[in-house]
Amino acid sequence: MTRRSFALALAAAATLLAALPSAASAEVPVLVRVIKGSRQGPPRLDPRLEDLKRQLSPLAYVRWEQAQEKRFDLVTGKPAFVDLAGGEVAGVTLQERRGDTITIEVALVARNTQTRLTVEKGQRILHQLTAEKDGESLFLAVMAWP
Amino acid sequence: MEADDLSLVSRARAGDSDAFRALVVRYQRKVYALALGIVKDPDLAWDVAQEAFVRVHGSLRGFEGKAAFSTWLFRIATHLAIDSVRRERTSRKDDVDEVNEAHVAEAGEGILSTPLGNDPRENALRRELAGKIQEALETLPEKHRTILVLREVEGLSYEELAERLGIHKGTVMSRLFHARKKMQAALREYAGDLVPAREGEDQGSAGGGEEVEP
Amino acid sequence: MRECVRFAPMIGARVGELTPGEAKALAAHLAECKGCRATLAAFEATDGLVAESLLARANSRDFGPFVDEVMARVSGGREASPAARGGILAWLGGHRRAAAAALAPLVAALAVLVYVRVGTGPREIALLEIDAEGEAVTVLQTVDGPVVLLSPGAGS
Repeated sequence: MTRRSFALALAAAATLLAALPSAASAEVPVLVRVIKGSRQGPPRLDPRLEDLKRQLSPLAYVRWEQAQEKRFDLVTGKPAFVDLAGGEVAGVTLQERRGDTITIEVALVARNTQTRLTVEKGQRILHQLTAEKDGESLFLAVMAWP
Repeated sequence: MEADDLSLVSRARAGDSDAFRALVVRYQRKVYALALGIVKDPDLAWDVAQEAFVRVHGSLRGFEGKAAFSTWLFRIATHLAIDSVRRERTSRKDDVDEVNEAHVAEAGEGILSTPLGNDPRENALRRELAGKIQEALETLPEKHRTILVLREVEGLSYEELAERLGIHKGTVMSRLFHARKKMQAALREYAGDLVPAREGEDQGSAGGGEEVEP
Repeated sequence: MRECVRFAPMIGARVGELTPGEAKALAAHLAECKGCRATLAAFEATDGLVAESLLARANSRDFGPFVDEVMARVSGGREASPAARGGILAWLGGHRRAAAAALAPLVAALAVLVYVRVGTGPREIALLEIDAEGEAVTVLQTVDGPVVLLSPGAGS
């Protein structure tokens, strides 16, 4: 599947999902952060990422910096997009909400990857966005009801 | 500000378990890497690394601080790792420490220098080879793996290697030579696979016999 | 060649490891001996790769359970066991095979359901559903939520 067809399929799926009648169509506020992890440099955790410490610490990167922060009110089936450097785009879609449990899809257009994750309120999704290059990699952190 | 090792050791000796926890977190990956290089098996390396921390904890009261905490920890980990593969330590015909003319002749073939070029750290082949290092390392006898791992992971000098392994400095030097030579031989086929087109350039790259100034 | 036998073990020495006399003699020998220069170049070409490789492997492993297991041992059980601490990473650490299964790459169109019991309270039973399509990913489960890692070498 090409990048373009993948993006089209993603948009079509989002449209279909959005058209479905849903009892859970209420907005879910999410905090989306783009984070840069680096193997080089003195160990440092951006103070804004303190809440992610337990998820970041098992990883091999020693230096963590927040590059971008956005807030969205996600409606089921309607993707929110985050632009990354180099023209890459990550799509975040709320697929389902059942009480305090939500299913979020993270789609990486450039890599034709879709990952759906069901998490409870209070949990955060940390998703690698880019393959490691020169010891650095980008991550996306998604937290509902921040 | 991170606490230094000595203050953490001091607090751990006083019963502060968080201080010891901080020391474990600080060194766990490096101790594991060292053990993995010697014992080869990831699960055994995990156990060896944990055992090293447990032993260190049990001996905290006896730690005088003459050597760095990390040196003490790595020394214990080294001996535990070597002990765990002691059965492997049967001598082999080609497992000698002295260097003779045949060894030198083999080493002088310039196994990897030509395909790797003049700036190996920037070379893509080097990165390719990095993925093969573990396989190559596992083909070495235990004593050659150990000395290479201690030299590279812990960065020990000849004198420190002699002290750690209980051998003379001259033996350290010749054993390291053999270890490196065997790594070269193990990597040779990977390098050959990766750069077959460079084979014929050997003569040309030397500038028609001209020597490259160091 | 007899000279080479003498100097070969000195090849690869770091600054200060040889006596000034040895260093000078080695330099003089290298200036004249193409074979030993080739050996030096070969050794330099791979210098550091062993450490890089081993540390990369250590860095790619989930060390979440390591410290909990050590602390449980040194405290003689006074510290909570990994399972009792409630962390999913810790639980996985105590169950190596389950951890290995959870860390296995999820390949294209493969859906995996991972049920992890993290405690006894009603809110502490977490259902973490991972469903990946496209390129391979690896998922680390943590009590704070999933960590999704792209498989090395996959894609761009």
